[in-house]
Amino acid sequence: MNQPHIFHEIDNSMTGLKDTILLMASLARQNLERAIQSLLTRDIDLARMVIGDDSEVDDLEVKIDQQGMDILVRFHPVASDLRLVITAMKAAHNLERISDHAVNIAKRAKKICNTSEPLETAIIEPLYTMAEKLLRDALMAFTDANAELGSSLKARDKELDAAHKEVAALLGSRLESSGDRAESLLHLILVARSLERIGDLAVNIGEDSVFLGEARNIRHEQRKIPAPDAHSE
Amino acid sequence: MHELLDKPAIAPDTTAAAVEIRDLSFSYGSARALKDITLDIQKNEVTAFIGPSGCGKSTLLRCINRMNDEIIGTRVTQGEILVEGINIHHPSVDVVKLRRDVGMVFQKSNPFPSSIYENVAFGLRMRGERNKASIDQTVEESLKSAALWDEVKDRLHESALGLSGGQQQRLCIARTIAVKPLVVLMDEPCSALDPIATAKVEQLIWNLKQEYTFVIVTHNMQQAARVSDSTAFFFMGELVEFSETRRIFSNPRVRKTEEYITGRFG
Repeated sequence: MNQPHIFHEIDNSMTGLKDTILLMASLARQNLERAIQSLLTRDIDLARMVIGDDSEVDDLEVKIDQQGMDILVRFHPVASDLRLVITAMKAAHNLERISDHAVNIAKRAKKICNTSEPLETAIIEPLYTMAEKLLRDALMAFTDANAELGSSLKARDKELDAAHKEVAALLGSRLESSGDRAESLLHLILVARSLERIGDLAVNIGEDSVFLGEARNIRHEQRKIPAPDAHSE
Repeated sequence: MHELLDKPAIAPDTTAAAVEIRDLSFSYGSARALKDITLDIQKNEVTAFIGPSGCGKSTLLRCINRMNDEIIGTRVTQGEILVEGINIHHPSVDVVKLRRDVGMVFQKSNPFPSSIYENVAFGLRMRGERNKASIDQTVEESLKSAALWDEVKDRLHESALGLSGGQQQRLCIARTIAVKPLVVLMDEPCSALDPIATAKVEQLIWNLKQEYTFVIVTHNMQQAARVSDSTAFFFMGELVEFSETRRIFSNPRVRKTEEYITGRFG
């Protein structure tokens, strides 16, 4: 899309920043996928791996901050270059939190796996599928600075929110009669909650993609738009 | 009173723009240096002209006080420039008076080879001011406005050539504002200054825009971003984009502008 900078070192640094974001994104997605797999397949080793790998994601967040700061100090970027640096640093923060949620899921998977009673973990699989697709598209929107895709995520997140509400209600209704499984059910409710939160974080990345592509800030837009009946007599 | 405009220096805000440039084309011989330029320079704002060498930004700046008249073979081929609503090319306009009302600070500081005091008093004397107390007061006020007073108040009658480059440039600004111009044109005023002297000049521009209208030509993108309210980007004699500075440097509308300010040109 953009032609290269005359001073090639700017392109090298920008490419380095993008590469780190992509690596961080792929690790965060991998952690999420493994966390869910560890839950669905009762694989404690996989859950341990997710917990261990999170530090790598944390390190990449720090690295992205350093790379962004370095670009700001050295090259004083403006326009799309500046937006890339700002949004990369913000996306890194959201990815770090996504990976934290993956760790939460993995920790709860470990606890659920440690109980002898099997649990209907598959009930949260559709939530994972929705959250994962949101995350995938958010990252695609960010990579391509695709404002249209980025701005479409909010509506899809509402579907995830609704699905989460249903799952949480269903699991909640089973709590009373669950006996020994109550603790595991609570863990599963919190896994569902993490997936719902991952959807929110993916939306954040999508919103940053809109800013990256078109310099439009669409965050909190609903709050700015008065309700249809706000001015009615 | 301004002889060009016959009104006080700090004129009531009766028109939106201090300078209105309308469909201006300008040629050096047969070469068109400016093509159909239209833009308004708002009062009490800093407007930056940016663009690659040869894009016409300095030529346009020099059109605003008709400095190009001094170059043989140049001419405005089309359009007009209005300063406070007055067409500067009207036969009744005295160019010397125009240049008093539209002052200019150049890339290289150019103090006269006389005392600091005389440099600032020069324009006042040229204007016919003979009252020493009044001149003294204006010299002091101008040097204070130019943030130079404290540094030179004890050596006002020493040669201006003994000042540092940054001080000389601020002296030139003091000399320009001593006659209370309507517009101050600056052609790369900091290109020969170190970062501290540059910061002082930038702070000065920031302070003085309460009273004056500034147009600054600069090759320093950060300087344009720091000091200006509006920025005009020129390329090959054409005005490519003119907008609020924060917009130009965060989200330019025109791809050519984006390529230039991000360093992707060529």
